[in-house]
Amino acid sequence: MIIFDTEGAVHYWNPASEALYGWPALTMIGRGIGHLSTRSENEREHWRMLLQEGTWQGVVSRRTPSGIHIAVDIRQYVRFAQDGTPRDVIEYGRQSLSDGAVPGADWHIPDRLMAASWEIDVSASDALIATIARLRDEAAAEAQLNARYKDLVKAARIVNVNERTMRLVGGNRGRDLMIGQPVSGFWPLESRATLGELIVDAMTGKTEDATYRRQMPSDGILRDPLVTVWRAETHGRIYAAVNGTVDDDRSYVYLRASEARYRKLVHHMPIALWQVDASHMGRIYNDIRASGVTDFGAYLDEHPDLVELAATTVQITDVNRAAVQLLGGASALDLMRPVGYLFTVNRRSLHNVMIGRFNGQANYEEITKVETLDGRVLDVRMSVTYPKVLAELDVTIFSFEDVTERMSMEAEIRQLQADFTHAARISTLGELTTSIAHEINQPLAAIVTNAETSLRWLSRDDPNVEKVKALTARIAASGRRASDIVQHIRGMASKRQPERVATDLNEIVQESLIFIRHEIESQSIGIRTNLARGLPSTMADRIQLQQVVVNLLINSVQAVEAHSAGKREICIDTHRTENGALAFTLRDTGPGIPPDDIDRIFEGFFTTKEAGMGIGLAICQSIIAEHGGSISASNHPGGGAQFRFVIPVEAPDGSA
Amino acid sequence: MDDDEAIREALCDLMMVTGLGCSTFDSAPAFLNDPGPNDFDCLITDVRMPGMSGIDLLERMRTGGSDMPVIMLTSVLDSNTRARALELGAQAWLTKPVADDALLDQLKTAIGAEDWPDEPGR
Repeated sequence: MIIFDTEGAVHYWNPASEALYGWPALTMIGRGIGHLSTRSENEREHWRMLLQEGTWQGVVSRRTPSGIHIAVDIRQYVRFAQDGTPRDVIEYGRQSLSDGAVPGADWHIPDRLMAASWEIDVSASDALIATIARLRDEAAAEAQLNARYKDLVKAARIVNVNERTMRLVGGNRGRDLMIGQPVSGFWPLESRATLGELIVDAMTGKTEDATYRRQMPSDGILRDPLVTVWRAETHGRIYAAVNGTVDDDRSYVYLRASEARYRKLVHHMPIALWQVDASHMGRIYNDIRASGVTDFGAYLDEHPDLVELAATTVQITDVNRAAVQLLGGASALDLMRPVGYLFTVNRRSLHNVMIGRFNGQANYEEITKVETLDGRVLDVRMSVTYPKVLAELDVTIFSFEDVTERMSMEAEIRQLQADFTHAARISTLGELTTSIAHEINQPLAAIVTNAETSLRWLSRDDPNVEKVKALTARIAASGRRASDIVQHIRGMASKRQPERVATDLNEIVQESLIFIRHEIESQSIGIRTNLARGLPSTMADRIQLQQVVVNLLINSVQAVEAHSAGKREICIDTHRTENGALAFTLRDTGPGIPPDDIDRIFEGFFTTKEAGMGIGLAICQSIIAEHGGSISASNHPGGGAQFRFVIPVEAPDGSA
Repeated sequence: MDDDEAIREALCDLMMVTGLGCSTFDSAPAFLNDPGPNDFDCLITDVRMPGMSGIDLLERMRTGGSDMPVIMLTSVLDSNTRARALELGAQAWLTKPVADDALLDQLKTAIGAEDWPDEPGR
């Protein structure tokens, strides 16, 4: 439906008319309806009939923005004022059924009535338009022209927009806030040059009514938007209409704002982020996968050139501020290079990242090293988030977290722990001095006596060589025994980093008993051992495990020593648990642990001994935990304390 | 008497080269329960031993009326224990490792020069 006055000037142009003719209401209101018709002779006759009869019905030909004409069946009625003079004309129209061959199908997209229409004032840009026209004649470089086109859009002012335009690009600011503003503020950056070009086309075109159209890149709101520009009747004004299927119900501004928020968020994120476009690698992976490769790691080992290809061609498309800071760059541009520079210290990491992508993982993480632009090497936790397989955009995100300080702190803590453990061992050895002295003194005493006896045999008139041989053999045996003990002590006393080797738990128990034997015997404490046969060896630090057993033994000896009454006995038992772990149990006939202390007994610096530092059991616990096991203390129902630790046969890091 | 076999064997060999006869025991109970003739001229014993200590044994022997000379041969440096041993009439308190001359001198004193064997092989 169209309403126009008796002069033919359009007052009302409903959405159905927008749909039928393609001309947005905005561009039609105020214009003469006649300018859509070319058969002026017929028009004049038709007009005369209408005013005379008050009604007219027939077929007219009307021009669409695409330049073609369509035949339309129309009915027109004149509305009269109270004084009987014609006030205006109401026209109802629909495309003529007889006009089936009219090629206007491209306008029949479902929501074309939703065209976003603009009336734009470029009157201030005559000079610029002339310059552009000249540059075009001179076939100037595209870049030069594009810059001018953008200038033109920046200079162009919005005169009016329709509802749809407002909704798509105006956000909630309303029409009033758009009017008078530069078009560029509301026009997608990617297609500003296109608009500028069309404006120049329209302004310099010979034919007044010609329309100029161009497909624009999809902008996230409209799919395949088509922009049409034509000259308005008013000098220096142009109309623009954008048609396209709505892709996203959110407005362009909303999306732009959302994207801006996203970019801002990423930019200010305290974690260093790299955005990477590895789309071409994705295609290469597809080809490799199609050729039947499943073990991509092995494939990369055979084709190291592929890793190099990725290093030199996978482009970083964006980085945030934290990334620039982390690597010590001056600006983001320093980091917008192929990814290779992130993997100069550890090329293997890139290899791993590629495998993750090939295998279709959602993400990948590892601790690696990265070299900063000023040559420092950082320990970093690298996380890679791969694009979803079906996602339109192929964007991989790398994040690097500097863990150098944490790693060095962890190393320090490990060192501190080792120092502590060592100190505790020394302190234990201190407690065992008498036992140790005795243990070494025994073989030494045997050696001295045997040696002197040998001399006596040799100094006799009939030297007994056989006897001397036997004594010398005993000297050697005792010497070895002394040497073994010294070696054990040296192991306990030495400061060293723990190391995991295959260790026999029963051997540890027996060696520990050597240290403590004298204490046990001098206190007349009976030792009962029940060591399971055929235990598998465990990956453990021999000295540390020995420290645990010796510590527990000393505790028990002291407990039994303090407890004068009853049987004096320590029972040691080793066995394999149902889960296949190794268990060590030690029970004594001492007074047991006061119930209040049981929960705190493994705490650092907890002690009930007057001279104790209270680190013995704490260190036992930390050693057992380090071995992936657990330790517990309880009181045996039959009296006395019971300590038990369980350690896995396999080391916690998975090595067998 | 010593719980350490190497010590026992070494001392026994020293007795033999000197021309003395000897028996060895690995504990005080073993000595006390020995069914053989128990009329030794002298006992050389360790102090710290499992079951019964050398001091306990000495106490028990003295309580039982035995005045057998006893030489304590030990690595215990505890002066109280030493005083107790001497109080109980121990012949000597020698520390390991002991010089053979020192041990043999004490042994000679305990046994008496008249019963001391001639130096064999000389």
